[in-house]
Amino acid sequence: MSPAGEGDLARALYLHVPFCVRRCRYCDFATCAVSCDDPLVGAYEAALSRTAERLASAGLLSGVRTAYVGGGTPSIATAPLAGLVGAVGRLCPRLGELTCEANPDSLSPEASRILASSGVGRVSLGVQSLADPELRRLGRVHDASRARAAARGVVDAGMRLSCDLMCAIPLQTPESLALSIDGVLECGAGHVSVYPLTVEDGTPLARACEAGEEAYPDDDFEADLMELAARTLQSHGLARYEVASYALPGQRCAHNEAYWTGVPYLGVGTSAASMLTPGGYGMLREALPLLEVRAEDETLSHDETDVARVRLTMVDPPRDFVRAVDSGGRLRVEVETLTTREAVAEDMMLSLRMTEGMPPELVGRGRSCGMGAALDRAIERATGDGLAERASDGSIVPTRRGWLLGNELYGLFWGLAHD
Amino acid sequence: MPTDTPKHIRDFSIIAHIDHGKSTIADRILEQTHTVAERDMEAQILDSMDIERERGITIKSQAVRVMYRADDGQEYQFNLIDTPGHVDFSYEVSRSLAACDGAVLVVDATQGVEAQTVSNALLAMNANLEIIPAINKIDLPSADPQRVRDEIEEGLAIPCDDAVEVSGKTGVGIHDLLEAVVRDIPAPGGDPDAPLKALIFDSYFDSYRGVVALVRVVDGCLRTGQRISFMQSGLTIEVEEVGVRRPANTPLDDLGVGEVGYLVTGIKDPLQIRVGDTVTDATRPAAEPLPGYREVKPMVFTGLFPIDTEDFDNLRDALDKLSLNDPAIVYTPETSVALGFGFRTGFLGLLHMEVVKERLEREFGLDLIATAPSVEYRAYMRGGELREIKSPQDMPDPAGIDRIEEPYLKVKVLVPPDYVGAVMDLTIEHRGVFEDMVYLSPTNVEMHWSMPLSELIMDYFDQLKSRTRGYASLDYEFSGYKPGDLVRLDILLAGEKIDALSFIVHRDKAQARGRVLCQKLKDIIPRQQYEVAIQAAIGGRVIARETVRAMRKDVLAKCYGGDISRKRKLLEKQKEGKKRMKAIGSVEVPQEAFMAILKVDE
Repeated sequence: MSPAGEGDLARALYLHVPFCVRRCRYCDFATCAVSCDDPLVGAYEAALSRTAERLASAGLLSGVRTAYVGGGTPSIATAPLAGLVGAVGRLCPRLGELTCEANPDSLSPEASRILASSGVGRVSLGVQSLADPELRRLGRVHDASRARAAARGVVDAGMRLSCDLMCAIPLQTPESLALSIDGVLECGAGHVSVYPLTVEDGTPLARACEAGEEAYPDDDFEADLMELAARTLQSHGLARYEVASYALPGQRCAHNEAYWTGVPYLGVGTSAASMLTPGGYGMLREALPLLEVRAEDETLSHDETDVARVRLTMVDPPRDFVRAVDSGGRLRVEVETLTTREAVAEDMMLSLRMTEGMPPELVGRGRSCGMGAALDRAIERATGDGLAERASDGSIVPTRRGWLLGNELYGLFWGLAHD
Repeated sequence: MPTDTPKHIRDFSIIAHIDHGKSTIADRILEQTHTVAERDMEAQILDSMDIERERGITIKSQAVRVMYRADDGQEYQFNLIDTPGHVDFSYEVSRSLAACDGAVLVVDATQGVEAQTVSNALLAMNANLEIIPAINKIDLPSADPQRVRDEIEEGLAIPCDDAVEVSGKTGVGIHDLLEAVVRDIPAPGGDPDAPLKALIFDSYFDSYRGVVALVRVVDGCLRTGQRISFMQSGLTIEVEEVGVRRPANTPLDDLGVGEVGYLVTGIKDPLQIRVGDTVTDATRPAAEPLPGYREVKPMVFTGLFPIDTEDFDNLRDALDKLSLNDPAIVYTPETSVALGFGFRTGFLGLLHMEVVKERLEREFGLDLIATAPSVEYRAYMRGGELREIKSPQDMPDPAGIDRIEEPYLKVKVLVPPDYVGAVMDLTIEHRGVFEDMVYLSPTNVEMHWSMPLSELIMDYFDQLKSRTRGYASLDYEFSGYKPGDLVRLDILLAGEKIDALSFIVHRDKAQARGRVLCQKLKDIIPRQQYEVAIQAAIGGRVIARETVRAMRKDVLAKCYGGDISRKRKLLEKQKEGKKRMKAIGSVEVPQEAFMAILKVDE
């Protein structure tokens, strides 16, 4: 491994808060239902802060520009969250964007004021819909009026507001989706994400679909609604910059962009994912000696001479995480390494989620790691099938068809990872 | 273990219609003779293949040695062979019977005599075996042993005075059955001093030990270390090991007259050993081999193609090994524009085909596509030349054909009188010609039909079962070739003819079948990036058309924090799914498309 340098430092920091007051029917994220006054929440978030302190004192947070507290429902308890974001602000000297995820039921205007004064500049609010019957069907805790109040509270507290909406949820119509979009924009959202409802294995929704009690989302309907959302948001000045993300000028989420552009980031907490250079990984192992890597991952497995990128995920459930941090126990992580070529293919796959697409520089990296003719064929296929086109600066960018058939497009380029 | 004298040996099979409980009775015999400790007992213990246990059927015959102390105080050696019941596997039965002196004919006390009861009993009579009728499942409330006795006596002319009533489930009557075996089945009559003659009635390939043959010693003695020759192939080897199954392989020094056991040859090439061959002593050979088996003739043909074209050699190797154990499989290389290199493979019937495909996939780790089964047609050309059509692709230009003939079957259906009408309707729809029917008993009618084999493989059996609520049983044998008005129906996907989807069909049925098949394919072929037209055509004329609409949306937009691995894994999973399909031109076709023609309910 080469000695660590500036390029090895994480540019983004993610903190995962895996608690919700109730799990939604469709959700397969790492979260568990607890009551909002469960002492575990405070203990866990204190453990997150302490871990961040260790990283900072080893110098690992000196390059962090953006931080994101996601969930779960980070807003489930305001006081520990305020403590956590306050710590993050102190520990990251170059921080420019601090986002907190929140759910309307737990984000009172008062809570928004506290978060704002603790340093949060941006809230991503899980609205999903502004139609009460749809919210009930999704198993959400809040209703539309609660969502509006929470949204306004964010804006009134002086923070930027992003809202998550879902499309193709049961009972939804094109009209109701348009109303939900209009509604969140009226509340002052400068950023909106629109995700089609996905039936994930093992969720109550999946069981209901299998039992025939709930209809599987219809692909054609989803496609129509995704396009409707794109049109409506763009007509209000929110440009699409990623497959599911729309923003007013200057309101993009810089943190999420980090995920899609191949810069290193650190993730702390249950199921949080990090992406590091080998040098950055070495620094992390030194800073957190309590990390326990599975024996089969320890060798940096498949091609030891060529490790370009390390991805790792913390796997301890909240209680074990707290215990490990408090008493110096082992913190279990799963590690995956990527070769240069795999890392380039991954960057290509991710770049095509974004409006800017795949720049000529990235195509050039592909050529220099031996993708050669296969890369030309993939580009030809992507453009020939109308999934992507060549922009004036030579970048390969997704088309309207490419947004809807993204997996076909991404798959073509991830497929270049191996001969 | 001392070698038993032939006087104390009984070699017998258990034969029955499918599901009448052979394997359960075999289980009870193993249990009551303490061959298998109770703690090791599991259902269908002789059925060692996963497919057999899962489907609850016996496919391969299994030989096991059981020691039984009879009521006369003497200990007997039983060599018990459990046989398959399905009509497709009747050749397995006849092979096993050649290694026996008697047979236990199991008949279900609630179902009575069924079609393969009749056939298997006839096989046993032709082999001059002593038959012991065993009426099974007498523990069931609906059991009617007296009616079953009447049917056996009237329908099969087998006296039932000494029939035993048993329950494989509870074990009742098993002791009586074992005593009947001692009393009624003759001891083997070979000559221990004559030169060695042993019949190979089965064999299999063991990755460590090479070809292992199952043999019955008729004359002389077979020893470990002995130099032996195979009389048909002429091959000479030294015996690595002999032994018996109890049911685990147990090595012995030798096998004497009447004993049934295994023979480890060490031969690595499966093609060098033939089932039906006679083993003799290399230095003191027998004058004449034992009578071999009638060659079995495959009836149903299908193209087997590896999904990964690089697996062609592995498929050949797997077929070589499997055919050792199942000589009824025949295969010749075949090339398809759509599917690449594969084998045209002949089977005895549809179940046989399914089982072989499944075994190739499971035991040899292959992913295979099977094309729709076809029969062997004969085209008589105007010039007088005869062409055999094993694959729809062999069908000559109709202009040059004088006539085409197709294989016909003599079909026997046993059914309660209430369902005679339903069987009539179904069989006539399948171009069957009624011949006659006889009442075996007031509740059991035997109907005889003449019917094209191609119709029987078109879902006839499943429909027969469903239209008679499972009461009908079926048996058939090849009867000869008859002319038919047959045409080739082609399927086009996105305008391209897919040779592997073509099939031969009677002209009167072509239109309907083409239409239904297009609809079926529309449901099977997933939506793709582009619209896919599905057409059915005879000659150049399109007779049916459907369209698979283009896929509109396929994207995972959701954000999982920075968990990019998860997104990548999803893409990889999708790619794996596509690998299970066959890319034909620009169209991804799932495997089941090639079998869709079989499930066409008109």
